[in-house]
Amino acid sequence: MQLRHSFTELRQGLRRNVSMHIAVVLTLFVSLTLVGLGVLLNQQAVRAADQWGSELQITVYLCRDSDDNPACLSEVTDPQKQEIERVVDESPEVADWHTESKAEAFEKVKELFGPERFEGPDAALTADDMAESVWITLEDPDEYEGIVSELRGRDGVASIQDLRDVVGPILNSIDALKYAAIGTAAFLVLAALLLVANTIRLAALARRKEIGIMRLVGASTLYIALPFLMEALVTALLGVAMAAGALAAFLKFGIIDRASQGLTFMPWVGWEEYTVTVIVIGALGPVLTLLPTLLLTRKYIKV
Amino acid sequence: MIRFEKVSKAYPGPGKPALDNVSVDIEKGEFVFLVGASGSGKSTALRLVTRETRPTAGRVYVAGKEVNRLAGWKVPRLRRQIGTVFQDFRLLPNKTVSENVAFALQVIGKPKSEIRRVVPATLELVDLQGKGDRLPDELSGGEQQRVAIARAFVNRPMILIADEPTGNLDPTTSAGIMNLLGRINETGTTILMATHDESVVDQMQKRVVELDHGRVTRDEARGGYGSQVG
Repeated sequence: MQLRHSFTELRQGLRRNVSMHIAVVLTLFVSLTLVGLGVLLNQQAVRAADQWGSELQITVYLCRDSDDNPACLSEVTDPQKQEIERVVDESPEVADWHTESKAEAFEKVKELFGPERFEGPDAALTADDMAESVWITLEDPDEYEGIVSELRGRDGVASIQDLRDVVGPILNSIDALKYAAIGTAAFLVLAALLLVANTIRLAALARRKEIGIMRLVGASTLYIALPFLMEALVTALLGVAMAAGALAAFLKFGIIDRASQGLTFMPWVGWEEYTVTVIVIGALGPVLTLLPTLLLTRKYIKV
Repeated sequence: MIRFEKVSKAYPGPGKPALDNVSVDIEKGEFVFLVGASGSGKSTALRLVTRETRPTAGRVYVAGKEVNRLAGWKVPRLRRQIGTVFQDFRLLPNKTVSENVAFALQVIGKPKSEIRRVVPATLELVDLQGKGDRLPDELSGGEQQRVAIARAFVNRPMILIADEPTGNLDPTTSAGIMNLLGRINETGTTILMATHDESVVDQMQKRVVELDHGRVTRDEARGGYGSQVG
């Protein structure tokens, strides 16, 4: 009984204020899309950093058996490894470190290039072809000379890779895009909040007489507010659905079909990250409309 | 049923308070006129009963409960025990007579079967049988006020509050409305009516409480509009 009334009111409310609702839906659509892009880019940056190490990281590759690096005479021995780990552990420039085994390195390669090429008897590489490595996170990206000079030339160390020059710019541009998307989204979110507030104000004005009578005869606040809340929820869900669609299109046509085909050296975000993104905007959208609605209905239809 | 205990109400800003130390006790089933010039505090007194506003000092009791102490979520329950009628009818213009009356039951979640049963009976009580499908603007002022009374009474409230219900009506129509209110009063409903319509007060000979600048200047068990003064 009560719900049917609310649905009738909802239908009437959406029709009565259709241009305002379209404005809210479109603003939500664009702002949620930008927020979603920000979330995707953030995950992209995390993925890239997982693969290459972040700006703060340097990687020490250890000698393999039959290494073509002239610094290596044989595969790194356990005492050499312990010595290297001791040096790393005691260096004040090192914030954190971990080792990566051959098997872990092999998994990373398989993930990046697809597993098919690394299986069976004709595999391009096996785990034994990979080098063990020590991943060092620095306290300060500009202070690395000490640890590098200590390790360079040490027995068992093949090479020290400092990807900061290569990875830095890429991570920086991902970060810049992320902040641009989220910054723009912040303004649009504000616009969406104000639009929702205006819509509620208009709707409450249009229904002033009815609301007055409802209060008079003792309708509960929830009963009076429910159509407003449902309107807010419907517009939010429309905005979320449109943003999710736009992000799916971006992921499919922009990243999966193009970027990841052209720039294969980089690990790209996929549907897993998309799911996370949709969960984020799916929660944010309703909050953006329900919050001002709750606050304003308290003000306009106060019992 | 309704008790004012040393109630004062001041609105923000300068000027005299709307109500000044008012104490009135209204028994169950009484019919009480609240009379006085415009601005004497009649409407404020009514608004205190329905808790549309709160007293600055003193206490207002309705049906044994102190209204000011009621939690916000309990206010709708209080209002379901009070029917309210206004000078300007306050009907919904896009709903028919029946729908206007039914609205009061719908919004408090009464089942449809009950609404179908109670609404025609109430329209009959106010002599509007057969007019349920009309829209408010197809009715005369007196008929519209009957619809408003039907809406106020359809939930069988213990109290009926009327703020100048005859203010927009001619004397004959007013007499009809007063007759109807009298019949409702006979069912045991307490009626508190603010008015400055002398003729209806004189005609009814009920209890009269007179307010002047927010103070009670007369409380007479059976009186006319200006009994003691005139």
